[in-house]
Amino acid sequence: MNARILAAFLLLAACGDDSQKTAVPGVPGAVKTLASVRAERRLFDGAPPVIPHHDFGADCISCHTTAGMSVPQFGFAPPAPHDPEQLQGAMSRCRMCHVFASKEPAFADNDFVGLRQDLRAGKRLNDLAPPVIPHQTLLRENCMACHTGPAAREEIRCPHPERERCVQCHLPQQTTGEFSR
Amino acid sequence: MTHCDRRGFLGALSGIGVAAFGPRDCAAARDLPIQDPQGHADLKWDKAPCRYCGTGCGVEVGVKDGKVMAVRGDAASPVNQGLLCVKGYHLPAMLYGKDRLQYPMLRKDGKLERISWEQAIATIAERFGQALADKGPDGVAVYGSGQWTVFDGYAALKWVKGGMKSNNLDPNARLCMASAVMGFMTQFQSDEPMGCYEDLDVGQDFFLWGNNMAEMHPVLFSRMLENKRRNPGVRIVDIATRRTPTSDYADLYVEFEPGSDLALANGILHLLVAKGKVAESFVTENCVFKRGIEDLDKIGYGCFGEQAEKYTFADETKDATREDFVKFLADYTPEKVAAITGVPVQQIQALADMYGDAERRAVSMWCMGVNQHTRGTWMNNLITDIHLLTGKISRPGNNPFSLTGQPSACGTVREVGTLANRLPADMVVNNPEHRAKAEKLWGLQEGTINPKPGHHAVDMFRAFQRGDVVAMWIQTTNPWVTMPNLHRFDRKPGDGRFLVVSDIYPTPTTDVADLILPSAAWVEREGVFGNTERRTQQWNKMVEPPGEAREDAWQIVQVAKRMGMGNLFPWPEGDWHEPMFEEYRKFTLGIGKDLASYAELKSTRGMLWPVVDGKETRYRYAAGFDPYVKKAAGVHFYKAKGYGEKAAIWLRPYHPPAEVPDAQYPFWLCTGRVLEHWHTGSMTRRVKQLHQAAPRAYVEINRADATRLGIKTGDKVRLVSRRGKLELPAMVDGRGKPPAGSVFVPFFDEGLLVNRLTLDAMDNISKEPDYKKCAVAVERA
Repeated sequence: MNARILAAFLLLAACGDDSQKTAVPGVPGAVKTLASVRAERRLFDGAPPVIPHHDFGADCISCHTTAGMSVPQFGFAPPAPHDPEQLQGAMSRCRMCHVFASKEPAFADNDFVGLRQDLRAGKRLNDLAPPVIPHQTLLRENCMACHTGPAAREEIRCPHPERERCVQCHLPQQTTGEFSR
Repeated sequence: MTHCDRRGFLGALSGIGVAAFGPRDCAAARDLPIQDPQGHADLKWDKAPCRYCGTGCGVEVGVKDGKVMAVRGDAASPVNQGLLCVKGYHLPAMLYGKDRLQYPMLRKDGKLERISWEQAIATIAERFGQALADKGPDGVAVYGSGQWTVFDGYAALKWVKGGMKSNNLDPNARLCMASAVMGFMTQFQSDEPMGCYEDLDVGQDFFLWGNNMAEMHPVLFSRMLENKRRNPGVRIVDIATRRTPTSDYADLYVEFEPGSDLALANGILHLLVAKGKVAESFVTENCVFKRGIEDLDKIGYGCFGEQAEKYTFADETKDATREDFVKFLADYTPEKVAAITGVPVQQIQALADMYGDAERRAVSMWCMGVNQHTRGTWMNNLITDIHLLTGKISRPGNNPFSLTGQPSACGTVREVGTLANRLPADMVVNNPEHRAKAEKLWGLQEGTINPKPGHHAVDMFRAFQRGDVVAMWIQTTNPWVTMPNLHRFDRKPGDGRFLVVSDIYPTPTTDVADLILPSAAWVEREGVFGNTERRTQQWNKMVEPPGEAREDAWQIVQVAKRMGMGNLFPWPEGDWHEPMFEEYRKFTLGIGKDLASYAELKSTRGMLWPVVDGKETRYRYAAGFDPYVKKAAGVHFYKAKGYGEKAAIWLRPYHPPAEVPDAQYPFWLCTGRVLEHWHTGSMTRRVKQLHQAAPRAYVEINRADATRLGIKTGDKVRLVSRRGKLELPAMVDGRGKPPAGSVFVPFFDEGLLVNRLTLDAMDNISKEPDYKKCAVAVERA
């Protein structure tokens, strides 16, 4: 069952295929990929996404700029969610974590079922409190990268991007489940 | 309601202003239902070191319903501080390949048949017992792994050396870091680096000797790059035979002729002396000079066609003087070195100036380029010589630092001592005092341990092929992909010898096994690994292994018990990890190799040995850091009893490689790894994302050569060496760019075995094969 779904995703994960894109509400002309495609690009939620396009032979940051960039024929190149300063240092070798996807058949079948996290999982203290951050913020220091702009999924789009200091109101939720000391 | 009332909650956020919330926010907030259908927060997270390389990154493993569903970098780990590489992030899928080995299988009439553990254990005990009866202790062998946990290695060591009275126990780490071991042993009489990963944060000049760190130790590379970002004066020098992703980040790229690094290092030493850059008082106080056998004819290369069957060269340690050293180096003038190495005189001068600058800190790092070298021990010696001569050692940011490729090459192979000549904690079988100590701690009769060292790895496989060894057990490694000159070891089961292989997936090695045992992997069992920086890391069993898979140590203990050697493993079946570790730990206490207690390891993200009074040691031999150093300042190489507690500066000459390109085989062939795959790919190739990124081996060819031969990327190319042929796709201007006249092939692909071409020449002292240099012809297929 799972293998079949994965296989179906595999076929669908083609980059640049417009049938896998959906319009961004309120942003004329902008498109983004379907949530199912997003899932296929990660082994599990929290894993670094694979690179869905071919190797342009260019520096990643020439399109994945701090604000992101629309690339004709390909869609929107989202900005990296990593600390912009560390992108010049510890995080400067993108391909250390992000590798190119291909349609190469599997070497062997695999039964792994990854964690899939509801994107709206941020809990609130009460109905009106701002949601806490339901994921680790390490390596995701640039909230705007995923929560604003054409790349942001509707369900997690920030309604007030003008308030720049997100963690002022949204607390990182402790989900680490510390092992016993 | 027009305002969100969060005052109570905000109270907890001292120092942060009160936010104003508009009605739009509140409406938007209300529209988002609170739900967590996947229950991600229900995952149970526990710590473990990564399964793959010697870096030893901390990961947190998320488990739900008995399955690993996610991992993340462990922000509390001092090693990686939350960052992983692509292999680490994809760890969970490695456990769930559909073809996991789940049941013991015995080959009957050429076909594998499922058998019970009871039958498997009885069969192994009988065949090993028979081998001992027929051939004595030389008739059996165990080939282990730097991926063994401390438990696996310790169980194997005790069974082979204390039970079967054999020393035929050697690991795949012989193919990987044996030269580094012999480097440290010959200079400090104690194995493993003096520094720790903090060197990456505070070093100023980094010298990478034949080391593609960006791909092989990516997290450590990142740590160094972050240092460079924060401190723009940091310089990275890539000293290599091929351009790699590491070169892209280097301030200086120094390209040398394969094998000529020996001359280059001597050239640097020459200039340090000539320019008066020697740290005189440091050297006088802390160093002695030594030299060994230097005659090429006496040493040879130990490979097929030369000293074909056995290679047993033993070096000598002779005293030398400062004058001998200076005279020896006179041969290595910049001009002569430039002629041998192809490195311009200016670059040799620049390297010497950087190393010799007393105002700057220097870290040298190396891995397989230096270790897999027909004079690998010498090359290790020469790099450390540079640090000793300049006094840049045993201080933060000033160290020679050997990197390792396997997760417990240090913790298990080097510390437990699963080598043909070793006992725990740097002890050796040919020392009567060491044997006596082991026999006492193990409660064995005096004279139990065999004083004659066993077969080193390559020799062990030659002995198995000859029929001198008739029963062999291989665990956690894949030698029918990794042994050099694989043709020598071609095997069809049913040759009268008996081969047991424990692994988690089918491999070319299980293909030739007579009996296959299914092993528990990584967090399917409790374990301890020791990483490159002397950090011992423990993890708990988190999930059940598939089918009837069991951990390697358990397998060994069961066989030992069946052979009547149960006295070696007196612990109760359900609770033996901690008592076994604590017994092993006794070997390490009080001698500067002190491991932390099991309880301490369980409650921390690993500790750097020696651990004394609960405190770890970041810099060995250094006053103020190492509890064994009683001096107020400086260093004390207290482990080097044989050298008057001083470190040895070795005089080591340049020798040419065993095989060099000629008219018939005009190209150098170098082999190695890629970022996405770990070693033979038996785990990583079963992860879709990793496999798709690097689905098969290829041959990197220089653009000029490719143009001349009419080859472009993707074309099929035939490589021919004196040992074999291999056809594989070409890669021009790929991630690695070899210089004209050389090619590179990664070894992860069991379908394209580059080790059918490699030469089984090896280091004279460490007996580590040289996978980096042999001669091939290149043609369009």
